[in-house]
Amino acid sequence: MDATHLPEVTAAGVIIKAVLILAVIAAIAGFGTYIERKILAFMQRRYGPQHVGPYGLLQLAADGIKLFTKEDIIPQHANKIIFAVAPVITAATAFIALAAVPVFPDFTIPFIDVYVPSIASDINVGILFVLGMMAAGLYGPLLAGMAQANKWGIIGSARTAIQFLSYEVVTGLSILAPIMMVGSLSFVDFNDYQADGTWLVVYQPVAFILFLIAGFAETNRTPFDLLEHEAEIISGYVTEYSGMRWGLFFIGEYANMITIGVIASVVFLGGYNDFWIFPGWLMIIGKIAFSFFFMLWVRAAWPHVRPDQLMWLCWKVLMPLAVINVVITGIVIMLVQ
Amino acid sequence: MGLEQFKNRNVGTQNYKTLDLDHTPVTGMGQFKQVVSRTFKPELFVGLWVTFREMINALFRGKMHTTQYPFEKLPISPRYRAIHDMLRLLESGHYRCIGCGLCEKICISNCISMDTKYDENQRKEVSEYTINFGRCIFCGYCAEVCPELAIVHGSRYETASEQRASFSLFEDMLTPIDQLNLQQEYQGFGAISPNADENIKKTPLAY
Amino acid sequence: MSEVQTVENMVSITIDGVDYKAKEGEYILNAARANDIFIPAICYLTRCSPTLACRLCLVEADGKQVYSCNAKVKEGMEITVNTPDILAERRAMMEVYDVNHPLQCGVCDQSGECELQNYTLELGVDSQSYTIQDTKREATNWSSVLHYDPGLCIVCERCTTVCKDMIGDAAIKTTKRGGEALDKAWKDEMPKDAYAMWNKLQKSVIAPSNGTEHTNCSDCGECVAVCPVGALVSRDFVYTSNAWDLKRIPATCAHCSSGCQIYYETKPASIEDRTEKIFRVTNEWNYVSLCGAGRFGYDFENRTATKDTAAFTAAVEAFKKAKVINFNSVITNEEALMLQTLKEKLGVKLINREARAFQRFLGFYGEASGQSLYSLNFKEVMASDFVMSVGSSLRNDNPNARYAFNNVQKLNKGAGLYFHPVGDTLVPTFGKNIEMFAHKVGHEEAALLFIIKLFADQDKLPASVKEQLESDFVELLGGDTAKFEKGFDKMMKKKETFSLMVGEDLYFHEKAENLAKLIAVLESSSDVKVAMIPPKTNSLGVALICDLDDEAEGYTIGYNESGDFKLSALGDGDLDMPAMNQQEGTLTNMHKRVTPTNAALEYNGYVLNDIVREVASAPKETIMWTEHLPVSKGFKAVEFDSLPNHYTNDGVEHRGYLLESTSVEVEEISVDKFDDANALEGEIAYRCNPQRQFNDFSDKAHQIFEGFGLYASPTKAEALGSKVEVEFANGKLTLDVIVDERMEGDIVAIPDFKSAENIYELFAGSRYQTVTIKEV
Ligand code: SF4
Ligand code: SF4
Ligand code: SF4
Ligand code: SF4
Ligand code: SF4
Ligand code: FES
Repeated sequence: MDATHLPEVTAAGVIIKAVLILAVIAAIAGFGTYIERKILAFMQRRYGPQHVGPYGLLQLAADGIKLFTKEDIIPQHANKIIFAVAPVITAATAFIALAAVPVFPDFTIPFIDVYVPSIASDINVGILFVLGMMAAGLYGPLLAGMAQANKWGIIGSARTAIQFLSYEVVTGLSILAPIMMVGSLSFVDFNDYQADGTWLVVYQPVAFILFLIAGFAETNRTPFDLLEHEAEIISGYVTEYSGMRWGLFFIGEYANMITIGVIASVVFLGGYNDFWIFPGWLMIIGKIAFSFFFMLWVRAAWPHVRPDQLMWLCWKVLMPLAVINVVITGIVIMLVQ
Repeated sequence: MGLEQFKNRNVGTQNYKTLDLDHTPVTGMGQFKQVVSRTFKPELFVGLWVTFREMINALFRGKMHTTQYPFEKLPISPRYRAIHDMLRLLESGHYRCIGCGLCEKICISNCISMDTKYDENQRKEVSEYTINFGRCIFCGYCAEVCPELAIVHGSRYETASEQRASFSLFEDMLTPIDQLNLQQEYQGFGAISPNADENIKKTPLAY
Repeated sequence: MSEVQTVENMVSITIDGVDYKAKEGEYILNAARANDIFIPAICYLTRCSPTLACRLCLVEADGKQVYSCNAKVKEGMEITVNTPDILAERRAMMEVYDVNHPLQCGVCDQSGECELQNYTLELGVDSQSYTIQDTKREATNWSSVLHYDPGLCIVCERCTTVCKDMIGDAAIKTTKRGGEALDKAWKDEMPKDAYAMWNKLQKSVIAPSNGTEHTNCSDCGECVAVCPVGALVSRDFVYTSNAWDLKRIPATCAHCSSGCQIYYETKPASIEDRTEKIFRVTNEWNYVSLCGAGRFGYDFENRTATKDTAAFTAAVEAFKKAKVINFNSVITNEEALMLQTLKEKLGVKLINREARAFQRFLGFYGEASGQSLYSLNFKEVMASDFVMSVGSSLRNDNPNARYAFNNVQKLNKGAGLYFHPVGDTLVPTFGKNIEMFAHKVGHEEAALLFIIKLFADQDKLPASVKEQLESDFVELLGGDTAKFEKGFDKMMKKKETFSLMVGEDLYFHEKAENLAKLIAVLESSSDVKVAMIPPKTNSLGVALICDLDDEAEGYTIGYNESGDFKLSALGDGDLDMPAMNQQEGTLTNMHKRVTPTNAALEYNGYVLNDIVREVASAPKETIMWTEHLPVSKGFKAVEFDSLPNHYTNDGVEHRGYLLESTSVEVEEISVDKFDDANALEGEIAYRCNPQRQFNDFSDKAHQIFEGFGLYASPTKAEALGSKVEVEFANGKLTLDVIVDERMEGDIVAIPDFKSAENIYELFAGSRYQTVTIKEV
């Protein structure tokens, strides 16, 4: 697709897009919990939720009702303002990050003739923005853990700090190589770069793997779910949270998972280009869905690591590999040109 | 039996098996090799494969493992001691209990009580029988002592109720008369031993 | 006769090689039991004659097989309990008992205390060698209380024996079973005694001896008590409980002055009602026999009582202003002592008619004889071989007196003289050597003079008596002189110990003092010793403890009696009191024994002690009075909790303690002249309760059916009609006429067991009154 042929992006379109993202992603995040429970159950030869609604589909609603109606407890000695704001930071940063990534293909609403773009805000430094936003998400768990006057929370926030900060490096470095190849920070450019059908993962397998690993850490997923690991620190930074505040962390986490899925799909896996008989929108949904599924799959299959192993992996393995990858990519680009 | 085996406390000489584990590498090179070998061994993928395979098994090959309690229940051992049943005679449908009171006497929680009377047919009628399940400890003595195999432990193990001391009356425990054909002979605690016949001496009869 | 065992009348025996001492003339079985040696035995009852029905008690004595219940010990006798032959016999007997015995221990009322079960196990009967066609035997009800299941009966004849030898009714006997005859072939195959036993067993069952379906007896239930199996059970108890579910509370029966040892057996009433209820009364039937009231009249407890503070305050007020306390003899010694304390501290007068009469009589007797108490207790009467009774309706007044009279005839080959104006058809059947004198009312002195004439050493008699002995007493007392004289020689044959029982008629007699003197004379001049029947439950205790008044007026508190303020254990008074089965305390019985009783049932109200504490002073518990019972009157200063209440294997009674009696020298007695003219003429009413009825409490019990009415002999009843009005000098009564088939003559009996009817007032200090009776 050629950007120049596109209709003009109006304010109304952007607002509709934003509302759409919020609604759909929040819903998907909720639905994600259902999917996660189902998938994990199947992998353990269980049924998962199945009594509320057909196939347990309404479990989601039941959980939602539960979360909304639960008493909102703020511990006596917590820093109340920060305690209250922290989950909002997590959710907000997750959604703000989504503003700069393409979510669904663009379309025009019939009758009122409003064009809704695929990216709410197609800034030309999209990737930088997304990575930055996700990095800012670190403040959610960090502040939550520190505000609640609970030792598990403190440990949780300490882990947040080291884990998120460390892996931010890996994410950045790993994605640097593709950026060098594409020469742009815009997701649209990435997409167009792969329009010929050759996915960037083919050129950058190492960067892809590094990005994935770092993605698990950034989204606090198994095997790197150290921030709130029940077996060690009760619930880490969410120990004292309940009800909808706790729900916001959850939505943030799932939104982040989707964001990572989107980045991975757009940067490495060919974006929303058509593929064979499949239209682009189906391709991107499929890719995001697969990366989501992959995260669950990993959770079902692999044990989690120790904090020291995590750090070791980051600084002694992943970071050097990422640097080497960047260097090699640079050399290759130089030679090819 | 001697007590030797209890007196021998030298656990060190017992028959332990040691697992054949790799030693933790100490040199830098060793550690590097370990990382490399672990990295390139497909173990992680084996894990992924196994979980995926089980998912397929569960979804498409009917190997779902869940018992959907309380809709489905696992069979329990006949020796399990759950809420009591009162059995009936298969031939006549009459309750088996003769009101002998042995269960009442033996019950260590003192939770059985019964009312009996002389009925029109000159028989001992058990007009009411109850077990206070707030006190019953499911020891099975009543089932063991019962000479008629009348009181037995049934399979109702869900004993939660609004009141701990809720009573169970004769009617509640008695096999419903329309389900007489479904009544199972008791196999558990206090049932007749398989070789009971061998232990019986024959009594001569004049008719 | 005393129970002191002197060295002279002890013999040495060996049982299984061990030396023991035994009383001379004792049965081997009893000697063994006294020494805690077990010999299997079913049919023998300690105080009855051996029946040799079970033959289980076989032992070898000096090389010969004998039945230990029937063979007496001899000096140097060597006894072996088990020999191979005897063991074979016993095993065969137990197998025989188990032939066709229904396998229904599971439902049987006797299970757990069944001697057939016990011996079958004891002798290890694990297989059966014998067989015979069974006979259909239907369970029947013999009376309002007796239920007989012949299917379970092992024809041990214990029931018939106790009924005959102890109770005296002889209401049941063995009859033909009508079953298959025993195959003669068994005779060679099995041990001899077992065969003989089986032969008899197979032919018999038990049935009422009057040939009807019903026993028509005193309904004492003693046959039920002695039955070793579940064949005889009380109708009320059949299939309602199992022996092991019942809690036994040792107590003393509080219906009459016998003060029998009983156990109240209780358990929760039902699944819905968890309050304890008495299901039956049992006793140590080898050593004590109950009457129907004791056995079946147990549910007289005061259930409704609560701590009603208003009523209690009213009671305390009433006591403060009371001038009189009117009570009866259904009261413990402790309560009697409380009342006496109130008299001493508050100056109230104590009225207890029957105890007062007895107290006066005892006083007269004491003055004349120097003895503080009568000489014999009724155990000693039972051991005598010539027994007489004056002034008591033997069949009705006191069961133990009657049992003693009967037992003397049956067991001691005894003889008896029975003096009573109301004729009786049962007493003469107790034995062959019984002479009954249905003398005129008022001729009691003549009866005593007659006894003095028969037994006294003429030289020891005071002149005032001697001069009166000339008359022909037999004629005067309504007998046939010639016939009596012939019979009397036979009666006196081989007699050594003589006893006389006197009863309530004498205490309420116009000439009570003279009668008491005559008794003293009799005792001092002959071998005859006297026992007195206290009129009601604890009359003896009350008579000893309380200083009773004859007349009193003013504000009256009635304790189970009428009064301006009524304390009642029946639940119908102004303040509830515990009934006897809800009380602890002691009773003094006719055996001069102070026996403890215990509370079988819960009581939630106030007790007399609470009131006494308010108006005077009292210790914490009623039983703390026990140790303060007057030692000067023969009581002992012992704590209630240290009083035993049981029998040992040798039959020795360990229940409470015996009253001490003191005696002093007295001067010669001078008696009044007997005046023939004192006899009552005309229509006479006698204050006398039916059997099994003694007081409001026996009446309250649901298994006591004897009603309040006018009891008359069959002919008299016919003459009277069905309902009559009885007119006394100071009032009248309308009563149903109830036939007592065992009464004879024209005197009618009017019961006094209902305190509300004020019968004592009508009889005005006597037991006999002339009345006019009209049919209505
Ligand atoms: S199981 Fe044990 S405690 Fe329960 S009723 Fe039976 S005997 Fe009593
Ligand atoms: S032991 Fe058996 S037959 Fe006897 S009362 Fe109990 S349930 Fe009935
Ligand atoms: S009488 Fe004795 S042996 Fe016979 S059924 Fe009853 S308990 Fe059993
Ligand atoms: S009824 Fe009882 S006491 Fe009488 S003979 Fe039969 S078994 Fe013996
Ligand atoms: S109740 Fe008493 S009088 Fe009647 S048959 Fe039995 S023992 Fe004899
Ligand atoms: S006890 Fe001696 S024969 Fe029965």
